[in-house]
Order: sequence, then structure tokens, then C-alpha cells
Amino acid sequence: MIATVGVIANPLAGKDIRRLVAEASPTSDMAKVGIVRRAVIGAIEGGAKRVILADDRRGLAMRAIDGLDLDAEMVVLDEPIIDSGHNSERAARRCRDEGAGAVIVLGGDGTHRDVVKGWANAPLVALSTGTNNVFPRQIEATVAGYAAGLVASEQVSLDHAANQAKLIEVDVEGVDKTDMALVDVALVTNSFTASRAVWDASTLKELIAAIAEPATVGLSAIAAAVAPTRRYEGGGVHVSFSGDSPGGTTVRSPIAPGLYVDVDIAKYKRLRLNETVSVSGPGALSFDGERDVALRAGQGAEVKVTSDGPYVIDVEQALLVAATQSSAVTAANPVNTAEKTVEIG
Amino acid sequence: MTATEAAVRELTYTGAFNEAMFQLMREDEDIFVAGEDVGKQGGVFGSFSGLHAEFGDMRAVDTPIAEQAIVGLGIGAAVAGLRPVVDLMFMDFIMVAMDQIANQAAKLKYMFGGKAELPLTITTNGGAGLSAAAQHSQSLEAMLCHVPGLKVVMPSSPYDLKGLLVSCVRENNPTILVKNKLMFGVSGPVPEELYEIPLGVGNVVREGDDVTIVAYSRMVSESMKAADKLAEEGINCEIVDPRTVQPLDTDIIVTSAKKTNRVVVVHEAVRFGGLGAEIAAQVQEEAFDYLDAPVARVAAPFSPIPFSPGLEGHYVPNAKRIADGIRETLGRPAPGA
Amino acid sequence: MLRIRLFEEAAGKLFEGNKMPGFLHLYVGQEAVASGVCVAMRDDDQVSSTHRGHGHLVAKGGDLSKMMAELMGKADGYCNGKGGSMHICDLDLNMLGANGIVGGGTPIAVGAGFANKYKGNDTVSVAFFGDGSTNIGAFHEAINMAAALKLPVLFICENNEYGEYTPRHKVMAINDVVDRAAGYGIPGVIVDGMDAIAVHEAALEGLARARAGDGPTFIECKTYRYYNHHGVQTLGMKYRTDEEVEEWKKKDCIEAFEKRVTEAGIISAEELAAVRAEVEAEVAAAVEFGENSPMPDPSTLLTDVYTEMV
Repeated sequence: MIATVGVIANPLAGKDIRRLVAEASPTSDMAKVGIVRRAVIGAIEGGAKRVILADDRRGLAMRAIDGLDLDAEMVVLDEPIIDSGHNSERAARRCRDEGAGAVIVLGGDGTHRDVVKGWANAPLVALSTGTNNVFPRQIEATVAGYAAGLVASEQVSLDHAANQAKLIEVDVEGVDKTDMALVDVALVTNSFTASRAVWDASTLKELIAAIAEPATVGLSAIAAAVAPTRRYEGGGVHVSFSGDSPGGTTVRSPIAPGLYVDVDIAKYKRLRLNETVSVSGPGALSFDGERDVALRAGQGAEVKVTSDGPYVIDVEQALLVAATQSSAVTAANPVNTAEKTVEIG
Repeated sequence: MTATEAAVRELTYTGAFNEAMFQLMREDEDIFVAGEDVGKQGGVFGSFSGLHAEFGDMRAVDTPIAEQAIVGLGIGAAVAGLRPVVDLMFMDFIMVAMDQIANQAAKLKYMFGGKAELPLTITTNGGAGLSAAAQHSQSLEAMLCHVPGLKVVMPSSPYDLKGLLVSCVRENNPTILVKNKLMFGVSGPVPEELYEIPLGVGNVVREGDDVTIVAYSRMVSESMKAADKLAEEGINCEIVDPRTVQPLDTDIIVTSAKKTNRVVVVHEAVRFGGLGAEIAAQVQEEAFDYLDAPVARVAAPFSPIPFSPGLEGHYVPNAKRIADGIRETLGRPAPGA
Repeated sequence: MLRIRLFEEAAGKLFEGNKMPGFLHLYVGQEAVASGVCVAMRDDDQVSSTHRGHGHLVAKGGDLSKMMAELMGKADGYCNGKGGSMHICDLDLNMLGANGIVGGGTPIAVGAGFANKYKGNDTVSVAFFGDGSTNIGAFHEAINMAAALKLPVLFICENNEYGEYTPRHKVMAINDVVDRAAGYGIPGVIVDGMDAIAVHEAALEGLARARAGDGPTFIECKTYRYYNHHGVQTLGMKYRTDEEVEEWKKKDCIEAFEKRVTEAGIISAEELAAVRAEVEAEVAAAVEFGENSPMPDPSTLLTDVYTEMV
């Protein structure tokens, strides 16, 4: 199989209403074009011989590779008619079908969710260009691309460079297909999905988080305030909010960039893997901070945290492994990186 | 000169404008000025000097160098109930803002079936003679007069400037008041109180029997010099200053033409397609039988305005060229010829 | 939204039947934008509009009969037959007019915003404009001025993907018009312009910022016009595919809204049908009013050039 890296950049990431209701910064197309360009260069340097780029309506990917003299086959997927999350989902399936060994995703939590909806166990290099970025990390695209290239060309194995993420699976009553999130699922009182983001904490009713790390921003930060749960730790957290009824605990959390709010928590519970939580409408379900499914009154949904998520490539780890391998350490005999670093130093 | 007139103090052209702005803004809180450098700087020619100190940021507004937005600011503010005075530093820059002036300001009232009122005054500075070259010297009034909905005012003295500015600002139609850059320092009697000179009403600034000179803006004073010279040759010129070129006071011109039977139109703008053509047409329509000679035009040649004083001096009409034009119309030889 | 849709479809039929002179730029498809924004506005907030401006006046509460009469060039129209489709306005509703010049209305909206700040009220001026308008100098001048003077103006970009008959991507090197907002130093967001509630939520935030003295906001609404730039053709165009039109129609703002409000139990299907019947009757009455209205008297030709006859 030819060493193939997929690149999926969400053209709409980093431009939603959180630039108004919170203090999020905009991510311009020019910024994204630069990131994709550096990721592609890195991937090829890392060993990719073929790069699949998901294009959007107006050629973000095409512009990213414009004028580059690249020693690899470039495959640009057909542009869709309308820009939407479905495009990232579709592009992820294409990457899977084309045998991509790693997929570089540029976007926020929402974009990564769309990709994983298309390819649940995708080997991802998750790059942050979105808003509430709990799942993807901020890391320079040049080396992130390189890590994808290393994995796709099997110079570094997934076993050595990646961790399997958790997944939140959601079965909505009356809907055949299981929905999913990577970070958190919340039930809010608004009946409409509308501008999608959730910024009014008083609308929160229930929150199920797979990742609840205190040093992140988003709804999951609320769960982190009462029951911190790391991303590769088994299980999750279920928080119920007080709403109008008095009592409970008040926590103060950054639910969007620059937006700290007081939230009244009625109760919380740590969840085991695969433990089911039932919620019901009326309201809307938000997935990774974005309202996406409206629930009618009485319409139920079952939510559980599983360990069946995508493989997330740790860029630093992948490059470290490659570096130590080139120092004649065999892949079959993985290094103790901490010790090795000391030895080199 | 009567005792009352003798008591009138003198102001410069710029001083008359500036005084009128102060008085108007004190009288009506809906009036503000906006334009490039009109804040603390007081305008590049000092027209708005001191307004910022008294009226502050919101009433003496420094704008970006963005002529379309400056005029648009005036239109929107006028529609929303204010009485804006917006300044375009040079008349040439009107071309940059022409959509807002000609397609928006001039037409809103008509397009909206009369429902909009647009008490907007645009002030600007025209005229050559400062070696300001082709983009800072033009006289473009003919273009503005061609657009129904605009009123165009070209004052020839400090007195007229103050009275016409007051009328423009109090007017509920969009007006463009064009000052002449060579006249800023010219002094003349100006009453202290606010007074209006109605738009569309001309002025006979000198009476005579032999020929009618129609001139406006700075060409009035050049025509006066020419008339003084010609008087020595026994030619009595009547000088008519329409003051407002749109609407044009045709009556005062035709009345004078019928009296003198000869008309010479003088303007700084280029001759081809200039207001002289319109005035000549109107005179022949209304007073054809009275004319003893074709209506003559003394105006700039059909070229951009040159930079060098050596060239510009030959470009702009002056007293000598006006006198030559009049002699030609009268069939008189030049002295010493 | 429904009033806009049915009004425009009726206008389109009259146009096809040669009962409507001039140019007709239909707004159908984009209704969620005008409705979502105008419902969030107060009556005293102003609107500047575009050549595709019927929707903005309807959403601001325009009288359909006077609108239809104006589109037909009749004496009882909003502008007494002097403006037509491209200049329709109702200053009493603070709708400062449609505009035949692309980009021409935005500086005027900024001027109205200046007046609001000058008067010290908390009224907001809303500028509607298309994606094409953002390539014009006047637009840049105006939005920069609004940002520099921190004026209460809400900039609503209706990105319908086409400037007349040319796809946007051919004339712009950016995907999202909103990317320009950062260049003026104001916040900008994208919303789904086919979702009236999404537009509404964003507009509320933008209006609140302006009222609070925080200056302008830029909202890009991703939307689509079903009809041709001008006239009533929808399919078989050289510059876009039928497939694309059908794809966008799947996101139709009225269908989506009706589905959501009925599913949420806010309104029943029967009540929606009653609303539709009411609007149909209002539109039919507007057509009748327009048809019965006389042509303007030739004596009015020269009135309204100035406040007085000159």
C-alpha cells in the first residue's frame, strides 16, 4: 500500500457565533491555507507518497498546494455543493477507502467529530483551528504533518505513537443511526439547534463528558471542576444541573474562550465505560459544544462513554520514536523515552 | 457708501465661511461637519478652524480619506434627521464620490416618491492658479449641474459665501458649495449676523450698457478688473453673477442680455461642455432677437490643468483674456493694435 | 419568511405575464436572513437594503399592497411609481430604501448609524448587502469608517454565492467574506443563512453590542437565491448547475422552520396552514390593489426632484 496521508480542513471552523458571544478569535482562510500547506510539506518529508486533500467549495486545499513542487501524488477530492459538516464526514470515509495511514484534521472539536462520524477508528493527527478545542491540540503543522507521514509510511507504528480515544455514543429514540461525540454531550433547554454553539449556561440540563480536563475550555470544563477525568482514563462524568430549582453546588468554568460563567450543579456522577445515561426532551442535544439534534417533549436518548474512538497520533511521541530509531534503536525494542532523552542530553 | 455700510467690518473669504459655520452650529444642534482633517486641524485651508475646540469630536468629525463614505455619512445622517455639512477637500475628489453624490444623494427624494428630505451640504474647494496641477485644480461644476436633484453654489465674495452657505445648510435639498482656492485670503464686507442669500437668485455686480459678462466664483473679480480696463476705452460692461449655477437664474441673465444685446460668459472650467454652452443656449432661446453678436465664451482650453506656472498662467482665464473676448464680441480692436 | 416568499412568487407571476415593468430581482431562498434579522430589530432601528430588497421591506413590516403597486409602477405605490423594485422604501418604517447600485446603500447605513450615535439614542442601523458588494470600494470605505468611529451598525452579508451571473469564488480569493471583518478590527461570524433562528440569535448579539456602544459587528449569512439574478428562471442556467439549486432547496428555510416549530410543538400544522391562507389572501389583495391602482399622472413627472419646483 502506497504511504497515504489524508488532509481534512473544515473551511467553516473558527468562524461561528462564539466570536460574538465569547472572546474567541477568528481563524481566517489564509491562516488555514498556511497550516494545510505546512502539514502537506511535513507529511511528504515524513514519508508520505500520496496525499488526499478534501476540497471545499472554493478551493482551500487547492490553494494550499498551489505552486508547491512536491514529490508525491496529490489527490484532491471533488468539491461538494454546499459546505457543511457532512463534507468532513464524507472526506473521512474517502480517506479510509483510499487506504490512508494517517489523517491530518484541521478544525475544532466539531470538525473532529464530523471526521470520526465518517471513520470511527481513524488514525488522526488532530490540529486545532476551531474554537472550543478540547480534542485537538495546538501544535505546529510542519511537524504534525511529519508525524502523519511517519505513521502512514509505517516508519513509526500506530502502537508506538498513538492512543485510542474515547467516544460518546448517543442513541436517539426514533433515529436509526447512532450519533457520537468525542468530548461531551449536553441536553439544553433551547428547542432549536440554530447557531449551534452553547454559551448560555442557564440552558444546561444534563452533561455527559468523556474528557473532563481542568486545563481545557468548553462545557467539559464544568465536569472537570467536579470530577476531573483525563482523556485516556477509562470512564466519564455525568453532571445534572439545577436549572431553576435551588440548591446544589456552584462552580465557575470557562465554557467558551474568555467566557467564565457560574453554573449551578445539582449532582454529578462518575461513569464507568459503557454505562448508559438516559435523558429526554424537550430540548436540544449538543455534541462537543454544538447543538445538533432537537428532542421533542418526551423523546429520549441514551448516552454512554465507550473506548471505541479514533487513534490519536501523539506528534511529539511519533517524532521522538523516529529520532531514537535513527539513533539505531529498533522499533521492535521501543525506547524508554524519558531515559533516552537523559542519555542523549 | 452709506454710513450703515461703512460700519460693516471686513472678513476674508475663509473667515466668512468659518464664522457662518460657528454661528450655524451654535444655532442648530443637528448641524455637524465631517471630512478629512476637519477636526483639530480645522481643515487644510482653515475653513473649519476652531470648530473642534468648541463642538468636539462628534460635531467636527475627522473621517478616513474615503470620499464615498464621507458623502454616504452625510446622506445617511441627513435621512436620519440631522443636518450634515460634509467636506471634500478638493473639488477634484468629487469624482471619487460621484456614486454617492449623483446616484444616491441627488435621486433619493425622487426615487422615494418625495418621501425623503436630504438637508445635506457638501463643501469643497475648486479652481486653479496654485500650481496644484491636474488633480487638485479643476472646476467641475458642469458635471454636477447636469444631475437633477443637486443645487450647486459658486460664491464670488466673502459676503456671498456667508449668505449662500447659510442658505445651503438650511436648505432641505442636497447642495454643493464650491469655494475658490485663490480667494481664501480675499477680504470684503461681511455682516456679523447670520443672513441668507437665496439659492437660484443672481446678482448684478456692475451695471453697464454695452455688453453683459456672465461670471461666477473668482471669475467675477477678474471680470471686474477687465471691466475697469475696458471702461477706460469707453466700454461699459454689465457683470451678472448667477451665484448659484444650479438652479440657474436665467431671468437675470436674459434681462441683462436684452439690455446690452451682447453676452460674454466667463468661467474657469474648460470651454467644451461648460456652463457657458448652457448659458449661451438659454440666451439664444429667450433673447435671440435682441442679440447683436453671437454669445461668446472665455474659458479654459480643453486640456488637463498644467503644473508649471509657465503653463498654468496661459490656462486660466484672466482679466486680459476676458477683455480681449469682450473687444472681439464688440468688434473693437485691442488698444495699440 | 412566508410573506416574503408568497409576495415574491406573486410578483414573479406578474412579471412573467408582462404586468410588471423593469427589472425584478427576487429574494426567494434568502428569506431567513431578512426575517431572522428584522425580527430581532426594534421599530426605530434602520435598514439599508440592496437591489434585491423586497424581503427587507416585507420583514420590516412593509405594506404588501403599496409594495405590489410600486413594483407595477402605479400611482399608489410606496414611491408613487417613481422608484420601482430597486428603490422601494418606507422611511416611516425606517427602511432607508432598496438600492440599484451594488454597495451604494452601505455608506448610507453608516451615516444613519452616525446619526444614532450623535443623538445619543441606542438605535442601531443595519446594512444588508450581498457578497458582491464587499468587493466595491464604497463598502470598504463605509465599514472602515463605522469601525473607526465605533458606530452602532450591524453589517449583514447575504452571501448567496453569486454576483449576478458570476460565481463568487471567481471574483474573490477568500472562502468566507467574514474573513474581511478582522481587517476592519470588528468581530465577524458565519451563520447558516438558511436557518432563521440561527440568524436571529446572531443578530440579537450584534444588535446588543451596537446598543451597548461596542461598535459594529459583521455577520455572514450563507444563503442562496433560487431564481436567476433577474427574472423568474430557476433552472437551466449557464453559470450554475440545476443540481446545486436542488441541493440548496433541500435546506429551504421555510420548510425547515415549519418542521422544527411543529416538531417542537410550538405550533400545529393546522395553525401553520391557517397562517399560510392568511398570507395568501393578503398577497392576493396586494395584487388586486396593484392592478386596480392607476398609472401615475404625467403631471407628477417633475415633482419631487427638489422640495420645491425649480
